[in-house]
Amino acid sequence: MKKNKNQSAEVNANSGKKHLAAKIYKYRGFYLMFLPVFVFAIIFFYLPMFGVRYAFTDYNGIKEATFVGLKHFQKMFSMPNFWSAFFNTLEISIVKLFLTTIAAVVVSIFLNEIMNIHFKKVIQTIIYLPHFMSWVVTASVFSLILAPTAQGLVNTFLVNNGIIDSSSMIYFLGDSKWWRFSYYLINIWKETGWQTVIFMATLAGINTELYEAAAIDGAGRWGKMRYITFPALQNTILTVIILNLAKVMNLFESAFVLQNDAVLDTANVLETYIYYQTFNSGAIPNYGYTTAVGLFKSLVGCILVLVCNQWSKKVRDGRGIV
Amino acid sequence: MKSKKKIEIFPIVNGLIFIILALIIIIPMWKVLVDSFDLKTAYGMKLWPEEFGLAGYISVFKNPTLSHPLMISFITTIVGTLLALTLSTFGAYVLIQWDMPGRNFFANMLLFTMIFNGGMIPTYLVLKSLHLTNTLWVVILFPALNVYNLVLMRNFFEGIPVSLFESATLDGCSPMQTFIRIVLPMSKAALASIGLMFAVTYWNDYTHYKLYITDSNLYNFQMKLRSIIMGSDLPQANGGATENTVKNAAIIVVIIPFMILYPFLQKYFVKGVNIGAVKE
Repeated sequence: MKKNKNQSAEVNANSGKKHLAAKIYKYRGFYLMFLPVFVFAIIFFYLPMFGVRYAFTDYNGIKEATFVGLKHFQKMFSMPNFWSAFFNTLEISIVKLFLTTIAAVVVSIFLNEIMNIHFKKVIQTIIYLPHFMSWVVTASVFSLILAPTAQGLVNTFLVNNGIIDSSSMIYFLGDSKWWRFSYYLINIWKETGWQTVIFMATLAGINTELYEAAAIDGAGRWGKMRYITFPALQNTILTVIILNLAKVMNLFESAFVLQNDAVLDTANVLETYIYYQTFNSGAIPNYGYTTAVGLFKSLVGCILVLVCNQWSKKVRDGRGIV
Repeated sequence: MKSKKKIEIFPIVNGLIFIILALIIIIPMWKVLVDSFDLKTAYGMKLWPEEFGLAGYISVFKNPTLSHPLMISFITTIVGTLLALTLSTFGAYVLIQWDMPGRNFFANMLLFTMIFNGGMIPTYLVLKSLHLTNTLWVVILFPALNVYNLVLMRNFFEGIPVSLFESATLDGCSPMQTFIRIVLPMSKAALASIGLMFAVTYWNDYTHYKLYITDSNLYNFQMKLRSIIMGSDLPQANGGATENTVKNAAIIVVIIPFMILYPFLQKYFVKGVNIGAVKE
């Protein structure tokens, strides 16, 4: 009896294995299709993950890496430049996120009130445009427009209107006092329009009967915007904020192309700090130290993603972001 | 009476506000365009060239060190986009095979890359040890696997009725045949949207070049533009074009291909966002 049972279990296991083998055979074409994706993921994502071991070594790319324990982390946490880059990253990303989101919500609500479809289309086409310009182009355009010379559009405008004196033109991108302000404005200019796409999609889904019912209840235009349009956007706003909060540590290109040596105290973020420390320090690079900074950045980013994911599941009926 | 008046005024004010907004978007670009044609560089607040001339553009195009980067931009964009679309569609197609052993492992493997990454320096070291740095391979291959776009594609594929797959299998189609005969023709909109997103990424790429390429013969136009603007690599000015005129002309050259196509393609970009928004 006992033996019998064992046997049947074995048979089951065998048939299970056969079943699995048969299934794998059935899907063989799909494994082949996934192979390139798999190889790309290994090379570009997984091998670098194993590279974080350099954070615990001294390594300059020529000599063998030597284990140094937590030395780089001790150095990192005692570096004022590291901390300023860390807090700059958080502050710049988060302020930028809130400014562009608020701007996009306001623009969407008023865009929704435009009744002439052709006019609306033209406006939308124009305001989406800057999103597709590269950061290099954007930085180039604004460095010319904001130039503190007679050729700079903004400074000339300010001088001609008597707001500033021609001898005290403003270095918008070259003065620590003005850099953040200019950076936020450029971001609003570039990204607000495109962010309205997702809000406009939500607004398109509002049942028009709601507006009719509100009109019967005596709600005017402001009443409808206040009590129907805006509340309809609340979930989308939260989604946009959660999705982007998860990415705040990744700030690199926009800051990199707009900054210069004169403004590094307010403009340096972790990724640019890593870049300069590795490639622009003038000395032989210590990959160990900059890997350690990168690992710290990745860990904070990882925590943010997981927190945002939980938060997203809570407020979006179980839908996570990863 | 009062409320009636309000209703009439609001659309006009609102329309005016949006016209001003549109002008704010356009003026910086317009200013660059105007200055690129102006041989008098005391540009100031002029919104029309004072002394019209093409010298800026002649300087840009006569310079062989500029046509080469432009070619690199075109080639990497075309090859990269095709490769990226292949990877995204293959990956997405596998991820909708819910019954396939290992499907969840593959999905998690891809999703994990969105949570944690090795960082800038380990990535650089890996690519360097694989001899990918200072080749065009790195700027073509690296951006080709984009998990976010792959997931968008998967969401789109999930909308294809299962019965179509079943009948194809009954007809004896292999997975690849089903993919080519059923999946791709049903996904033209998604292919256009996601392909365009990739094309823009490749055309605009600066970071990958900056990090992994030091050989200036392999620079794309964004890198070239950057060095022109930074003043380190100004092409020789011809026929009375000044430094600033050349800079402005270079900016226009890099955005013009996209500007021409953009009005026709805009709807595909918007669709791409909505694939993500509707289903997740």
